[in-house]
Amino acid sequence: MGAPEPSIESSLENVSGQIREMKSHTLGLPDILKLADVMVVSMRGFFGQLDASIYKELTDVSSFINNARSEIGRLQPGNLKEKHFPEAGKELEAITQSTEAATNTIMEQAELIMSADPEDMEAYHATVQGAVMEIFEACSFQDITGQRISKVVSTLVHIEDKIGSLADALGSAIEEGPAEEETDEDRRKRELILNGPALEGEGIDQSDVDELMGGGSSQDDIDALFD
Amino acid sequence: MAVDLSMPVLVVDDYKTMIRIIRNLLKQLGFHNVDDAADGTEALTMLKGKKYGLVISDWNMEPMTGYELLKEVRSDEAMKPTPFIMITAESKTENVIAAKKAGVNNYIVKPFNAATLKTKISAVLGDF
Repeated sequence: MGAPEPSIESSLENVSGQIREMKSHTLGLPDILKLADVMVVSMRGFFGQLDASIYKELTDVSSFINNARSEIGRLQPGNLKEKHFPEAGKELEAITQSTEAATNTIMEQAELIMSADPEDMEAYHATVQGAVMEIFEACSFQDITGQRISKVVSTLVHIEDKIGSLADALGSAIEEGPAEEETDEDRRKRELILNGPALEGEGIDQSDVDELMGGGSSQDDIDALFD
Repeated sequence: MAVDLSMPVLVVDDYKTMIRIIRNLLKQLGFHNVDDAADGTEALTMLKGKKYGLVISDWNMEPMTGYELLKEVRSDEAMKPTPFIMITAESKTENVIAAKKAGVNNYIVKPFNAATLKTKISAVLGDF
């Protein structure tokens, strides 16, 4: 192992010492060359340290990029786009179709019962029995729908896991981006108060609505809420 | 005063199934003169061409919502007195307050049952 490289301060001190020892009016080419030699020797260590520092920074950056690439690769964006998202979309479409078909069947049978003539008891009984059986059969959609929903939920969990891994890998490099700008659709939803169905426990029930619609709140109270 | 069960009722909803459900419930309650519209725009056109005794509307529809329809009805002198009931899944306090401020006569939260519909219609039109 060689001697430790001199610090930048001691190197500069060395050079300035050399200059002080020289008498400017007697300086010749050998003196200049000697001074240059001293400067080169003195600064070699400094530039050596600088190289090592930059090299370490670049190595860290390279390692970070490799790690990020690896995590993004594990995310399998192509797989998500080509497989997971389309499959989840198809499942949701199938759910909509099956619930609609089941609802139509149930309603048709209920309407059949409603319109059946109770005067003819035998025919009425047969109609009701047949319709009830159809309704039972139609209700089987719930089992298949439940399985389809489970598949969609699995896809969402899969995506959540992948994105979580990516966020962990990138760590502090991730900064929250600026708040998204409100789109026309967002603005319409806000202005027309389009919240959609509330989850269990989040919305208000009919009794709360009745309280608001009844004498519980005067127009002044309501107006005050908008001020 | 007795409710005229033959009066025209307009049901506005973008889901055919829901229109079918409300139509059947109204039929059970004795209302047989029921028209339907798939959104606020279609309903507004129908309301301008015919006098309805009751409007039952969903909130969340495109391109015109039930809330916008309500405000249009209340801002027109001819349509202004038309009783208007909102039936919707929009169940935030702000929705109810906004609807009341806009002049809705009653508000029903989905899912609902026949008894609730009858109670609310009675509250608006009187017992029947």
